[in-house]
Amino acid sequence: MTEAAELERQLVAAQAEALAAIEAAGDLTALEEARVRALGRKAPLARARAALGTLDEQARRAVGRLANDVQGAIEAALTAKRERLAESELKQRFERERADVTLPGDAVAVGGVHPLTRTVWEIVDIFIGLGYSVAEGPEAELSVLNFDALNTPPEHPSKSPADTFYVAGTNEEVCLRTQTSPVQIRVMESRPPPVYVVSPGRTYRRDAEDATHLMQFFQIEGLAVDEGVTMADLKGTLELFARQVFGKDLDIRLRPHHFPFTEPSAEMDVQCFNCRGAGCRVCKQEGWIEILGCGMVHPALFEWVGYDPERYSGFAFGMGAERIAALAHGVTDIRHFYENDLRLLTQFGGPP
Amino acid sequence: MRVSLSWLRDYVDFDVTPEQLGERLNLSGTKLETITRPAADVRGVVVAEVLAIEDHPGADNLTLVEVSAGEGHSQRVVCGARNFRIGDRVPLATVGARLPGGVEIAERKIRGQSSAGMLCSAMELGISKDHSGILVLPPDAPLGADVVSVLGLDDAILELEITPNRGDCLSMIGIAREVAALLGTELRLPDATVPAASVDSPVVVRVEDTQGCPRYLARYMEDVSVRPSPVWLVARLLAAGIRPISNVVDVTNYVLLETGHPLHAFDAAKVAQATIVVRRAEDGELLRTLDGVERKLVADDLVIADPERAIALAGVMGGEGTEVSRDTEAVILESALFDHASIAYSARRHGLRTEASMRFERRADPENVPFAAGRAARLLAEIAYARVAPEVTDVYPVEVRRARITLRPQRTKRLLGIDIPAEAQAGYLRALGLEVTTAPGRIDVVVPTFRPDLEREADLVEEVARLAGFDLLPSTLPPGAAGALTPAQAAVRRCARLLAGMGLQEAWTTSFASPAELDALGLSPDHPARVQVALMNPMTEDATTLRTTLLPGLLRSAARNVARRVPDVALFEIASVYEPSERELPAESQLLAAAFCGARQLKSWRAERKEWDLFSVKGVVEALLRALRIGGAAFEPYGARPFHPTRAARLVLAGEPVGVLGELHPETCDAFDVPQGTAAFELALEPLIAACPGKPVVEEPPRLPGVYFDLAFIVDRAVPAGRIEEVVRLAGRPEVVSVRLFDVYEGEQLGEGRKSIAFALELRAPDRTLTDDEAAAVRARIVRAVAERTGAELRG
Repeated sequence: MTEAAELERQLVAAQAEALAAIEAAGDLTALEEARVRALGRKAPLARARAALGTLDEQARRAVGRLANDVQGAIEAALTAKRERLAESELKQRFERERADVTLPGDAVAVGGVHPLTRTVWEIVDIFIGLGYSVAEGPEAELSVLNFDALNTPPEHPSKSPADTFYVAGTNEEVCLRTQTSPVQIRVMESRPPPVYVVSPGRTYRRDAEDATHLMQFFQIEGLAVDEGVTMADLKGTLELFARQVFGKDLDIRLRPHHFPFTEPSAEMDVQCFNCRGAGCRVCKQEGWIEILGCGMVHPALFEWVGYDPERYSGFAFGMGAERIAALAHGVTDIRHFYENDLRLLTQFGGPP
Repeated sequence: MRVSLSWLRDYVDFDVTPEQLGERLNLSGTKLETITRPAADVRGVVVAEVLAIEDHPGADNLTLVEVSAGEGHSQRVVCGARNFRIGDRVPLATVGARLPGGVEIAERKIRGQSSAGMLCSAMELGISKDHSGILVLPPDAPLGADVVSVLGLDDAILELEITPNRGDCLSMIGIAREVAALLGTELRLPDATVPAASVDSPVVVRVEDTQGCPRYLARYMEDVSVRPSPVWLVARLLAAGIRPISNVVDVTNYVLLETGHPLHAFDAAKVAQATIVVRRAEDGELLRTLDGVERKLVADDLVIADPERAIALAGVMGGEGTEVSRDTEAVILESALFDHASIAYSARRHGLRTEASMRFERRADPENVPFAAGRAARLLAEIAYARVAPEVTDVYPVEVRRARITLRPQRTKRLLGIDIPAEAQAGYLRALGLEVTTAPGRIDVVVPTFRPDLEREADLVEEVARLAGFDLLPSTLPPGAAGALTPAQAAVRRCARLLAGMGLQEAWTTSFASPAELDALGLSPDHPARVQVALMNPMTEDATTLRTTLLPGLLRSAARNVARRVPDVALFEIASVYEPSERELPAESQLLAAAFCGARQLKSWRAERKEWDLFSVKGVVEALLRALRIGGAAFEPYGARPFHPTRAARLVLAGEPVGVLGELHPETCDAFDVPQGTAAFELALEPLIAACPGKPVVEEPPRLPGVYFDLAFIVDRAVPAGRIEEVVRLAGRPEVVSVRLFDVYEGEQLGEGRKSIAFALELRAPDRTLTDDEAAAVRARIVRAVAERTGAELRG
């Protein structure tokens, strides 16, 4: 056997051995060992290349080509194996890291605003969208603004200490406002028309508390005074409001009523959102639900604040936030709103 | 107001169903509450005569009553009432009869005695809530006849809500007038002419207070036969919900319901000198009213008197001393007009709200005075055989003038936004009984005295609008303005949203307070919150004042949740507090407060439970300040109740205290039934909002890298961390841009009374990267300053 043939035999054997070792390597360490054994300085391949110099030209070229082929094959096998091993190790790592996604996440507290706040914001925002601003006033109010300025007759039963809270030591000149209407007077006294305001606020009456009455409740009133404001404008405004709060395609109706501070006066009913007018438990079989009181501002109020009733006209409306919230959210006893039972409050979710 | 439709037909014709009529009234301002047919399902109840009454051998409170519903046969029933006599006619529910609610009557034994049916009370027949005894029927009720048809109980009754301006509608005629106007039919008034009799009236009327009593009319009658009323009258009173008493009283009540005008009948024999005096009461004067109550009058009460004493509380209730009885022979019938305000005050003062006072309070009609008197006199002549003196004593010194109002049809259009032709407007007003004359551009109206609510043009616009129907109005919108929340209003909402975002739930609690809840908080006697606005007329003992702090309400809400097994609570509230002021109104300001108890983080499969404490609450406050971009806040120790003496702080902004926060005093926790360790904060909202800067103007993020290192100091335990941090910041200026305290450690190796505090610092220069030497110089500067100012040394 010639030396060249011997070298070729060794190279072929080395390739077979190396490929087998690469194939057998179970991890990157074993693969590195196999690489050193196959391609290291003491590996058959290196020895074969070292021996090349002793061969004649022709044999050197043939053995050299073979050596290159063997090295190429081994390197390709190494690369392929390395990729396979890396892939499998990543796979194993992912397996180790596998999470039970049904376990609960970390608790992030979700708070919320009170349902009455939601209701007030919702209503106020509707009117802000219609070009109103928000006016506020004192809760302990001058009786003269709470009653007289609003055209309440002096002997009206609502003024009696049986119905209205008075601040001690004021000779009944300071009461806890029974309505937010005195804010309307304060606004009109402070500036000329046009006036477009809503006045949300706490109000107080000496009512025995039950499912629909509280000593303290929250009113939202609106007032629009401008040239040419009509009762049709009132109706359109309230229709828009009611449909946003209770449902897009519900009808409303105005029923004539009486309030000292409006003329004509009306109560607004909205078609029952539960039965759509057929009659059910929510609307007490009436098909309609009474929502608020309203009317055209009484000329006596304009005279009080010094507006010219021949030039200006206006409308006003007022509603109870508790009643609106109760209707909108299926609450049957408004006392719940002041108990702050978290089992109720958390049902409203986070802040709007 | 209960309106029987069969009765209503006496005054107006209508061919619509009760439901349709109710709807028309409802949509024209007379609100329909309900439509009832009280005895629609009652069957087999007949008129029977009482033949005998015996005691039940087995029960003291029962009787055995022999009744007959027709000649020849009788039956025995067991009865629990004794308000009737032999010969009375009573409703007998025979065996097989049906009562309201589907009750069926069967023959049964009661305490050993069989009962062939049942005698009925008004309540059992569904007529009224009167269950005080068996309903005794008038003697003219035909034996054996069906009680339902005898009393007209199958009639529909409209229950109507009458607004306070429409006193005229508290009468059948008033409602009939509305119906006539709505349906375009005619109103028929009943006969009020009095048959001639040769009787002289001895009555003298002296009105001493014509302001309180603008008109007083008296009619005198003799030979009055006081007895039960006839069945038609009883039926109508029952339908209206009024208990029949005797024909004389019943007629006054009937005419009140019919005309809306209250009347009163005095037994003439008991009125001294037949002289009626209308005057103010003496202070302390006594009067026993018909309800048997002895009333102490005040000088503001208007009374009817004879020359010797008060005999009635005018317009409210008659007196017992002159009550009509079975022995009455002569009657003085009063028909008067009393001042509405005077009656309102009297009724309120004596807690007496009667059918009469209710109508006078709503302004009775002066022109109704003679009509109502004539109507009652006529009825008494008919059913009590009274002989009525033709002479009428009518004291009416100043005639009430009819209001004259002009309506401009254009004005109606301008107010309503719809064009109703002038002629139609005039027509509506005429239909309501107003005197109307028209001229181009104007409708002149004379308002009858029964409509005192019509005072000005706008009132007439309303009349036109409600008869035309509000459903005619189109839906339009007014011009509007530019609407927005003010920055302060928006900031309040922002605070609520921020706190909700941090996991707090908003609460609403009462504005009412009491000194007792301040005791429960443990506030010192000179605590500013002790000065409360007191109510003149509180409703309950725990609501005698207005609150000066939101904490009691929040703590009560927290306690309620804890008691209901919801132990982890973080509630906040934004609301007003009130304090007495030298100005005309109490001062009101808004607070933002919160209460916390239980876990702020529950134990989970990978985290430990964490409870609320001073520092978690401080974290909330700091986060709120950061979110509002309020800088420069300082926290100082605060030890006053209701807070824990050593675990609470005061928040100071720009040198001004704006709130307190921390854990609550153990006694406060106990007093409110909240767990030990419950924490809270309470901040003044206005200064917080005032401290919010305007629109953010920002620095763009630096491009150059910063230098980061930590510093740990060992220092005396008493030195506040905040003091060290302050020195670090001051000494580090201008390179140090961030200082964050990240560790506090106490341990043996540091030595007794020592602690270690560690900070992470970030340094940078605006225009270059700091060199190592520069950073080291800053570090040395800080270490030296901290050592000098606080005695701290750098930790190894």
